[in-house]
Amino acid sequence: MILIPTITAAATAGNPRIAPGAGTARAADLLAAAHPLAASTDLARAQTGFSLAFHICFAVFGVGLPWLLLYTEGRWIRTGDEVWYALTRTWARAFAVLFAIGAVSGTVLSFEFGLLWPAFMARYGGALGLPFTLEGFAFFFEAVWLGLYLYGWRRLPARWHWATLFPIAISGTLSTLFIVAANAWMNVPRGVREVDGQVVSAEPLAPFTTPSALPQALHMLVAALMCTGGAVAGVYAVGMLRGRRDLYHRRGLRVGLVTVLAGAPLQLVIGDWAARVVERQQPLKLAAMEGLYRTGNHAPLTLGGFYDARSGQLRYGVKVPDLLSVITGWSPGHTVQGLSAAPAGDRPNAFVVHLAFDSMVGLGSALILFSALVAVVVLRRQRAGRRPYLPTGRWWLLAAVATGPASLLAVLAGWEVTEGGRQPWIVYGRMRVSEAVTTNSGIGWAFGGTLLLYLGLATALGLILRRMATGGPTYDADAPRPPTRGPVVTTTAGNRSAAGGAPVDEPGAGGRVGRGGR
Amino acid sequence: MNAADALLLVMVGGLTAYALLAGADFGAGVWDLVATGPDAPGQRRLIAASLGPVWEANHVWLIFVIVAMFSGFPTAFGVVGGTLELPLALALVGIVLRGSAYVYRAYGGGAAGPDHWWGRVFAVASTVTPFMLGTAGAAMASGQGRPGDPFAPLRSPFGLVAGALAVAGTAFLAAVYLCRDAAAGPATAHLIDGLRRRALASAVVAGALAAALLPLLWLDAPTVADRFMTRGMPFVVVSALGGVGALVLIGRRRYGPARLAAGLAVAGVVWGWAAAQYPDLVVGQVTVRAAAAPPANINALLLAILVGMALLIPALVLLFRVFAQPEPPDDQ
Repeated sequence: MILIPTITAAATAGNPRIAPGAGTARAADLLAAAHPLAASTDLARAQTGFSLAFHICFAVFGVGLPWLLLYTEGRWIRTGDEVWYALTRTWARAFAVLFAIGAVSGTVLSFEFGLLWPAFMARYGGALGLPFTLEGFAFFFEAVWLGLYLYGWRRLPARWHWATLFPIAISGTLSTLFIVAANAWMNVPRGVREVDGQVVSAEPLAPFTTPSALPQALHMLVAALMCTGGAVAGVYAVGMLRGRRDLYHRRGLRVGLVTVLAGAPLQLVIGDWAARVVERQQPLKLAAMEGLYRTGNHAPLTLGGFYDARSGQLRYGVKVPDLLSVITGWSPGHTVQGLSAAPAGDRPNAFVVHLAFDSMVGLGSALILFSALVAVVVLRRQRAGRRPYLPTGRWWLLAAVATGPASLLAVLAGWEVTEGGRQPWIVYGRMRVSEAVTTNSGIGWAFGGTLLLYLGLATALGLILRRMATGGPTYDADAPRPPTRGPVVTTTAGNRSAAGGAPVDEPGAGGRVGRGGR
Repeated sequence: MNAADALLLVMVGGLTAYALLAGADFGAGVWDLVATGPDAPGQRRLIAASLGPVWEANHVWLIFVIVAMFSGFPTAFGVVGGTLELPLALALVGIVLRGSAYVYRAYGGGAAGPDHWWGRVFAVASTVTPFMLGTAGAAMASGQGRPGDPFAPLRSPFGLVAGALAVAGTAFLAAVYLCRDAAAGPATAHLIDGLRRRALASAVVAGALAAALLPLLWLDAPTVADRFMTRGMPFVVVSALGGVGALVLIGRRRYGPARLAAGLAVAGVVWGWAAAQYPDLVVGQVTVRAAAAPPANINALLLAILVGMALLIPALVLLFRVFAQPEPPDDQ
């Protein structure tokens, strides 16, 4: 999956120069006084942020779904159980659509780097070449094997068909790692030598060895798995809330919920690691994340609250004295750099970054709490030998529905922290966003067009996914036979929607005889 | 030959693959757009069935070329992004709509509007994309793109004819490829005659457009025209032989070899253009030498591409072999 969540400028449209809380009159004055480039920078940032957010929302499924499919199709192959088959077929169809949207929106991003940030690409395209090229190959690989997977039901023996998921899942995962490495380099640009704004040498491997690469990439990878698990769990939790408590729904819920809830505590550890790297490599970003103005020891940690750039204070937050110093340096005497260390023009917008950071941490904590509660219930039920182990009461199901949106929101908020926290730089300490932006005048039109096009496509996609998600499988007489007898694939469950009951037209999905296409 | 030239050759290879594979997918969309008469539904089903498993892999060749360009020749990517923004943006709209409309039609089951609406979107987008890419290629040869004047590439007659040639070329490829797909099963055999006529018609149109393009090339892109008549000539000959050969083979109902010949006809144009373009990337604005990334980075890219291709090509061969015959459309 082409997952280019990253490159670029921030996901916010807001002009960072305008202090939050400033009156509209003041904002208008500032806008008028600002260099004309400011408006074009904002538009370019808005477009890039929107394109990235759109891409991320679909690309995460391209990373996560193949791993879930490996499990469900593997179970089907071992057991011949038609419920596993039905789940696999439904998810494969959703995967096909989501992958295509992820692919085209990723293509848009690869062009947008040049169209919106020509100076950035002109200067650092070479330095970022290796991760992008490798990502291109990973995506290529995924597309090739996906073609075999989606259309190979009748042409490949069942085990081979299942095995094509390995290259798909591995290349989807690798493309996440490659593309996040490129973003990590923008955060901590190492190994590049420049003379008069010209790159004279750049270590090709620098994006992979930069300290931020591994924690950032793993953080995104686990996040993608959590989003997938949460969305899957949500679909089946909704079905169960509507009274469809059959095996199909229970298994779908289980696979999704276990994925998202297993990821949540893991994400705490990786996120902590990522934040420590930020503290060392991008202290201003950490200051913006925590809304810390003054450099010094005994730095407090403020939960929630809104950063006021004029006073340098966090309003309405819960302040825990010394905690930030203790977390970062294990001692209240540890000095933490604040926003005041940089001139006003070089500071990220702490209002947005702190809000985004606390949203991510808040959502993540809620997921961890839910994870712990579910774990307690499961352990108690296991000890008592009461099945099913997963709690499926109304409130538990409602919480399960929320895990998908919560994970997705946390990912978007996390990217806002990464990108917004790097501002005003596009390549930290080396190139400003305003230096990188295009001078084209038509980007307002481009943004408007992108907005309309993407919203239209997203609406259509939402309708299609809803149709796929609604209802259960309808098992017909033509039930699948255990795959051990040969690559026999039948029309079944999952191809039919409960809403209409009519078979959904899928190329290559309707045959009843194995190898029918030969 | 230094590393930058080697990378350039690899990019031309990628571009050729894109033109021959994804080009045919776009061309199939053109035929979807103009399909009429009682055979139209059958033609559209054949087109959808032959695209299904391969179009996404074919599409990635473009990403490969774009990534190689911004990694290996970053300055040129900056120039292209700053001068060809309009044709490229419209090509992107086409790419996005083509891809999403295809899967919405295939998997939507009418949940997001009738399938034939998405079919129309797919067809129109498939026509717009090669046109815009052709126009962008022409502007790289003429150097007519200017910062601050996004419409310049679309005002040039040379660019417009080049765009039309790209559409005709992809349509020709698609018609020839589809002949073989239609001949694969008895259920689609009745479509062959219509497809043969389309192959012939698009070949004639493409030939006429190519003839019209030559004087415009001299007029608007004299630098490239000069090199085209010398360096480009062998490729032009290959292209012309391929085109004529494809028609002869179609006439004799030898659809497999006809594919190869049609591929040569289109590849010859790409190669002739590439040879004539060298060493300029965008004529008058940026050259290979000026745009190249530091040699260490290009070497790393070449190594990555070598390893990547070694892994990728067997997978691609497998894909094309498994789906050598399209799904029998009647079976759905």
